[in-house]
Amino acid sequence: MAQLYVVESADFLFLQHQTEMSSGNLSAHLKKLEAAGYIEVTKEYIDKKPHTTLALTKKGREAFKQYRQRVKQFVEKIPE
Amino acid sequence: MVAKEPNLKEIERKTYISYHQDGLLDIFASLYIVGFSIGILLDFIWDYSFGLFIPGFLVVLVLPLWIAAKRKITLPRIGFVKFGTSGSKKVTIILTGLTIVGGLFFLAFALLIKSSSWTDFIFANGLILVGIGGLTISFLFGYATGLKRLYAYGVLALAIFVGGHFLGVFFAYLVLMLGVTVMLVGSSLLIQFVRKYPLKGEDFVVQ
Repeated sequence: MAQLYVVESADFLFLQHQTEMSSGNLSAHLKKLEAAGYIEVTKEYIDKKPHTTLALTKKGREAFKQYRQRVKQFVEKIPE
Repeated sequence: MVAKEPNLKEIERKTYISYHQDGLLDIFASLYIVGFSIGILLDFIWDYSFGLFIPGFLVVLVLPLWIAAKRKITLPRIGFVKFGTSGSKKVTIILTGLTIVGGLFFLAFALLIKSSSWTDFIFANGLILVGIGGLTISFLFGYATGLKRLYAYGVLALAIFVGGHFLGVFFAYLVLMLGVTVMLVGSSLLIQFVRKYPLKGEDFVVQ
């Protein structure tokens, strides 16, 4: 999600390289995020080859912002 | 284990760098630089003003070629990414700033041309000024894009032009030297990139 948060959209191959995940693993993660309404998946054919583009939805962006906020608060509460 | 807040700036920087690790930016920028030097040489050797139009032709020619090469070489290997507006905003601000500063310099030069002491100074130290200009522009774009090799190109430009000033080398040869060096770096990056990311021939689809 962090990877998609810093860009407008990316395709499956790009995300796979950036996250260094296997295609099956990444696909499973993306399916869950899509089901939660956090990402938008666009499937199309370019030069007769399947192409999947992914982008965070407004809901996904908001959820990630909240997650960051919570992690920040949690880290701040930890005594040194 | 404690959860860590994701460093988004670092992720964004790495994403941008990974997209430009193919060396194509360097190769096509160097084509422009080499073309510019050839333009000066043609103009100087044949005294034929067509040479001066070469940089203009190259802008029209190089950009579509760069986009086509990106589609043919980079995208099938590492995929496609569309960046947000924050990075391009920085580049736009720098380009606008450089245009304004360049315009002001040109205006100042045009006004001061009557003052022989200024023109003597500019003509006597022209190569040093070009070197400083090259260093500044490279550093600004290096900062805006996060591509560290642009800083090295800036230092290289300064070294070449300052060296050329003291050795008395003709301007066009120095530009050519800079262009060829950038092209060699770009070609080496491209070879590394193609080896690191071989073509898989298929894309994966989220089921």
